[in-house]
Amino acid sequence: MEGSREPVLDAKAELIDFQWKLGMAVSSDSCRSLKYPYVAVMLKVADHSGQVKNKSFEMTIPQFQNFYRQFKEIAAIIETV
Amino acid sequence: MAGELESCKPLSGLLSGLAQDAFYGHPGITEELLRSQLYPDVPIEEFRPFQAKMRGILKSIASADMDFNQLEAFLTAQTKKQGGITSDQAAVISKFWKSHKTKIRESLMNQSRWDSGLRGLSWRVDGKSQSRHSAEIHTPVAIMELEIGKSGQESEFLCLEFDEIKVNQVLKKLSEVEESISTLMQPV
Repeated sequence: MEGSREPVLDAKAELIDFQWKLGMAVSSDSCRSLKYPYVAVMLKVADHSGQVKNKSFEMTIPQFQNFYRQFKEIAAIIETV
Repeated sequence: MAGELESCKPLSGLLSGLAQDAFYGHPGITEELLRSQLYPDVPIEEFRPFQAKMRGILKSIASADMDFNQLEAFLTAQTKKQGGITSDQAAVISKFWKSHKTKIRESLMNQSRWDSGLRGLSWRVDGKSQSRHSAEIHTPVAIMELEIGKSGQESEFLCLEFDEIKVNQVLKKLSEVEESISTLMQPV
């Protein structure tokens, strides 16, 4: 999940809102003892035409830590540019 | 023929095959395939209940996400039951669970995630220096590409642009998440 490829120069969307939820999966029909925490994210994005869409996804805790770490890297770099 | 089933050499292979089918969703692992590969001299009518018993045991262990104490207690109980397992078989099952537990658990976690997962993340920072409307501007932007997708489906790529203000806004939210995680993980 590191910066593995150069982002393509497609029409980029703008982030309007970022909502999050920390959940805990307790049990499921295939596993009575799941017990894993996860971070669920809901992004509200507007494309170049102004159309707003919701995109949601989940991350495990290690995935979230990586996501956070990369954002901190971006913040550090963007400050110096 | 019971002696064949009691032999432990093919049991490890059987457990692998059952795990492939029950947890990893590997197609094509039929009863007949397992029998012919691992217990070729055992007739199907004898093999069927045997593999069902092993499958049941494996599913119980995985479903309860047994730690090693629970595992030992559970397997010991199985050896004492009528029509249960031998202590040699218990040892093979125990060894199997210890080496596959993490992978099986991960598989079960993925099976219960129905929203998209984050598959990839790449980014770069650009320094915009000119625009049609201003003579000269220096506004750095971060361009981020998120690869998200549901289990078994193709990825969707989301390309987002952030200025410094937005990056910091998101960063603040992420630190709130981090704080929540710390609170959750604190020993009770």
